[in-house]
Amino acid sequence: MRRRRQSPRTDWQAQVEKVGLTFHTLENGSPYWDESAFWEFSSREIDRLEAATAEIQRLALAAGDVILDQQRLSQLGIPASAHEAIRAAWNAEPPALYGRVDLAFDGQSIKLLEYNADTPTGLVETAIAQWYWLQDCFPTSDQFNSLHEKLIAKWKDLKDYVTNPVYFSDGGSLEDRMTVEYLRDTANQAALKSLHIAMRDIGWNAAHRCFVDLDNRPIGTLFKLYPWEWMLSEPFGANALSTLPPESPLKEYGPRKDRRSWGSTLWIEPIWKMMWSNKALLAILWELNPGHELLLPAYLDGPRTMQSYVRKPLLGREGSGIAVVRDGQVIAGSLDGASQPGYVWQALAPMAESDGKTAVFGSWLVDGGPAGMGIRESSGPVTNNTSCFVPHIFR
Amino acid sequence: MRRSREVQLTLLAAFALSITGCRDERADCVDGQNRKIPDTNCQAGGAGYVGAHWIYGGSGGTNLGDAVSGGSVTRGGFGGTGGGEAGGE
Repeated sequence: MRRRRQSPRTDWQAQVEKVGLTFHTLENGSPYWDESAFWEFSSREIDRLEAATAEIQRLALAAGDVILDQQRLSQLGIPASAHEAIRAAWNAEPPALYGRVDLAFDGQSIKLLEYNADTPTGLVETAIAQWYWLQDCFPTSDQFNSLHEKLIAKWKDLKDYVTNPVYFSDGGSLEDRMTVEYLRDTANQAALKSLHIAMRDIGWNAAHRCFVDLDNRPIGTLFKLYPWEWMLSEPFGANALSTLPPESPLKEYGPRKDRRSWGSTLWIEPIWKMMWSNKALLAILWELNPGHELLLPAYLDGPRTMQSYVRKPLLGREGSGIAVVRDGQVIAGSLDGASQPGYVWQALAPMAESDGKTAVFGSWLVDGGPAGMGIRESSGPVTNNTSCFVPHIFR
Repeated sequence: MRRSREVQLTLLAAFALSITGCRDERADCVDGQNRKIPDTNCQAGGAGYVGAHWIYGGSGGTNLGDAVSGGSVTRGGFGGTGGGEAGGE
């Protein structure tokens, strides 16, 4: 694998805007979509990344069972009011659409950095913008990218289980809005009807105990690009739980009438994703699989004997609250509040570094299977909301 | 199969050219007892009362502290976290 430089297409902004990537430039004017470089892999390296993603999914499924069997949801900071709903959803297996594991890969070892299981973004640039870039720049090369057709296939699988229309919602940022519109597009191409509603516009009908749209029609199925932990902390959080088993009245859907345990609202992603989107998962995975080649040592009670590690908040987003320590010295962020609970301490990973950039490889899953990759690059050791997206090829 | 065989974009491309507008409907920011409070409490990033939410199409007083009734549907109980930042990551 290697990072290669090349001149961007002369009209790259127009090219990526044309396919929906309108957030291609950061507030400081530098590109977020950065096609002045790309990463080139061998087919074997892509095979390794794909296999690693599938293996991590297998490990995460086993960890979910352990978290519930050992009643460790409180250890993840998940409010007790949600525990039974999470357990019920895990057992009933309502639809789960997608996720993204972020990997460190230096050409030798692959290590899991985190699992963005509930509200992953970077989808428009991964599935679409870099695919069209490939067609323009390297039409004879290949790309680890079957996201688009796998999303459509998954929606087709769900057609008998979702209500009509499927609602799509987000908190209102441009990136989230475009991501949701892209996912709507894939649902529409699977012949599902869809509507968008902003999270703030979702209504609660107290008389009928259901969520409603702006015309007061019941919302039966809702894809929400909005974290469960945010939802549960908001005024409608308790109402959301009341639409899920065990509180929810039973409903029967689908050709085999087997949706009864999914609740009166079908939430995508399901609430059990709170177990995986929480960085405590990293420590639990290590505890269950010590020495696994795809995992880094990680602990919930401090760095123990580690001298080089990353301290991450259990629910941090886009790199916020992260501190990086190398050989006992803080090289990024701050260790303020280190004595408080709510962190995971994870060993420092060997990262891909080239041209002064550090790369993180976001490997996507659709319906639990590997589906493609997007790469984020940073000037420092922490990936955050100013890290650039760089396309890739393999030969 | 790793390659995307065909990528058709319809809705997304159209959406990129048009952003939705606002709705013309009375909206009152109220506290947990449905008493009118300043709108800033219900807006993204606002400090806010606990339980602050919108009632759309409601009726009643229009001054701060007035009771607002809005049938059995309330709105604004989601969407208040993040201060306008993305919920995706």
